[in-house]
Amino acid sequence: MKLRHPISGAIYEGLPGGRCKVTEPDGRSGLFTDLGRWISGELREADLHFINWIAGPQLEARPAAAAPLGSSSPSGPSIPAFQARAAAASARKGKGMDLGLVGKKALVTAASRGIGLAIARQLADDGAHVAICARSEGGLESAQKDLEQRGVKVFARAVDVSDGAALKAFVAEAAGALGGLDIFVSNASAGGGMGEQAWQATFEVDVMSAARGVEAALPFLQKSESGSVVFISSTAALEYLGVAQPYNAMKAALIAHAGDLAQALAKHGIRVNTVSPGPIYFEGGNWETIKNAMPAIYQGALAQCAIGRMGTPEEVARAVVFLASPAASLITGANLVCDGGFTKGHHF
Amino acid sequence: MATETLLPFRKPEQGPRSEGISYQRLLDTDTRPVPEVLRWQSARELPPARVPIARYTSPEFHALEVEKLWKKVWQFACREEQIPEVGDHVVYKIADIEIVVVRATPTEIKAFRNTCLHRGRAIKDCDGRSQELRCPFHGWSWHLDGSLKSVPARWDFPHVKRSEYHLPEVRVGSWGGYVFVNLDPDGVSLETWLGDLPKHFTRWPHEHKYIEAWVGKLMQCNWKVCQEAFMEAYHVIQTHPQMLPGIGDCNSQYDAWDTFSRAMTPNMTVSPHLDWQPTEQDQLDAMFSRDIDSEPQVRVPEGMTARELVGQMTRMQLKASVPGVEDLTDAELNDSFYYTLFPNFHPWGAHNRITYRFRPNGNDPNSSLMEVFFISAFRGKRPAPAKFHLLGPDEDWTKAPELGFLAKVFNQDTGNLFRVQDGLRAAAHSHITLAGYQETKPRHFHALLEKFVNA
Repeated sequence: MKLRHPISGAIYEGLPGGRCKVTEPDGRSGLFTDLGRWISGELREADLHFINWIAGPQLEARPAAAAPLGSSSPSGPSIPAFQARAAAASARKGKGMDLGLVGKKALVTAASRGIGLAIARQLADDGAHVAICARSEGGLESAQKDLEQRGVKVFARAVDVSDGAALKAFVAEAAGALGGLDIFVSNASAGGGMGEQAWQATFEVDVMSAARGVEAALPFLQKSESGSVVFISSTAALEYLGVAQPYNAMKAALIAHAGDLAQALAKHGIRVNTVSPGPIYFEGGNWETIKNAMPAIYQGALAQCAIGRMGTPEEVARAVVFLASPAASLITGANLVCDGGFTKGHHF
Repeated sequence: MATETLLPFRKPEQGPRSEGISYQRLLDTDTRPVPEVLRWQSARELPPARVPIARYTSPEFHALEVEKLWKKVWQFACREEQIPEVGDHVVYKIADIEIVVVRATPTEIKAFRNTCLHRGRAIKDCDGRSQELRCPFHGWSWHLDGSLKSVPARWDFPHVKRSEYHLPEVRVGSWGGYVFVNLDPDGVSLETWLGDLPKHFTRWPHEHKYIEAWVGKLMQCNWKVCQEAFMEAYHVIQTHPQMLPGIGDCNSQYDAWDTFSRAMTPNMTVSPHLDWQPTEQDQLDAMFSRDIDSEPQVRVPEGMTARELVGQMTRMQLKASVPGVEDLTDAELNDSFYYTLFPNFHPWGAHNRITYRFRPNGNDPNSSLMEVFFISAFRGKRPAPAKFHLLGPDEDWTKAPELGFLAKVFNQDTGNLFRVQDGLRAAAHSHITLAGYQETKPRHFHALLEKFVNA
């Protein structure tokens, strides 16, 4: 729920986990619990009962005395008003599916735009803290701000993920900053192209950043109660799409490796899955470029989408976040094709 | 602001008032003719607005209340619909006192102290139906009229004379479908005690309503602290700010008569606290708590006020259950009329379903039982009354979905109440201070309480 305070004009927005983000008209904002206690941010005080209305229910902090009308027992001991309430979490359980992401720590590579950013955003909206990286600083800064607005911890670094040592250092630093790691999403990709260079690039980025990323994240994921890895592959791995480019074979390698890792890491309580998106359209993305430069190819791909349109980064993000979350506790070694019916085969 | 021109029924108090439109002026804008009851006002000289804190925290004062108040005053025990058949009974408890209220004949309700005259076991443990009142210990039993029925091994009790072993009776009275009891064998009749209150409810008779919901919660504050939170609209600005665009909080009207008081708080009017002018749509949106990013759930048509629209919508909702709904004023369909019959009974007027009752939790001055009833109109066959739903200590009010959006409002109040009790117990000063007008109802209550404890 998002409401404007009738007197101060501040915007109060309910966030997952019973939190409330308050933004004053002068731009100062703060994050509060549903009891009105300040968590973080420049703004230190907000209206307790308005927060309750938006982010509640709210329980009394003090345990009740005797059963009603039964006894003359004295009231409870005098304890500080805002002690933690064990029952609060269970009382607050909604009826819908709870992904269990609140407070989890996730790392997503290549997350300053497109599908990677959409994944990081969805994780943050569902209450997970996120670490992101990208090749350049530029997009990263605005991505970090965007994610921080969602009320979670954010750790962002410019990293060349094809540099194994740099990637390993980033993973360790991120785990340190977030206080651990529960989820690793390997989204980095060198993209399409042909020839020796493309083979080298897709091997180093798509495949090796995933393999090395898992290795670097392993000690942290082992410590997690719900360690989980998701590789972003592509429908290009499943079907010939008109050109025999290295990207396709490397994406297929990811699916095979993920399947192996699912078995090898199961004993550590870590699940490994893959998501294979079909054509995904977004501003600044490849399909926008293709649409402008090679409209016939764009139309051809569009025509193959059974649902009559290409996908959005958010739709892929939801599939990734579900598989990454504790709610998908039984799913490991799966490849979830997310393509609006672009591929025609039956995926056994 | 100019002095009000009011019906020459009684003169109003001349104290300061809010800048917002007065309730009487608001009534002048109604689309329907305004009935007399809404024009009645009281003039009452109320004593100074300071109340000793000890009343809310002291076990000694609680003991005084038991002796001087609870053993002497008419109090709401149950509703007639809960004891429709002969033999139906309800156990009513206040402090340590237990009273069994039973339908003795098709037309007579009786009440007795719920203690066996043999060795003192409580006779009835819970509500139920039986054709006698039998003690589960040795089987002594009484007829529903309280006369001794049978004693197993009667030969062993030659000293027990039937005429001397009648169950101690407690006076019973009925109004609006509510059954009241009074532990004082002397004292005024219920009719006298109620005074003009029944006249106020002739347009909205509660005897033709039923208990649609009944929810209770143990509150971590004195019963008076609890009920006083529901006896004024002054707290809306800080405790229910989401309502402000659509509620006349500080320009509510308060009246106090002999044993009862009334507040009238207009809805679909703008709070005088706001320094901006909400539109009619804004006022309606406040009632629905419309999210900034959402479309309005209901749009106010061009040329109509939110007040008229809500009047219309409520008329439609009530059509099926309330006769003569077309004649009900916008006021009766929009606004909150909260009455208090001393000491702890709060039936709301018009067709707002709320009725509150507040009781001390046993003998603990620091906790209390708050009960919310929905007393609703119906047509045709009388629906069965709802059973009591007691919320657990870790359950907030939204665990009672039958209360609808009100649950979240109660959560806001609850967020204050336990801290009021904490603050009172921690206080260095000796008295609380009440407003000159907006806290008329608590002032009236304490004036009456003082009469009882000093008697």
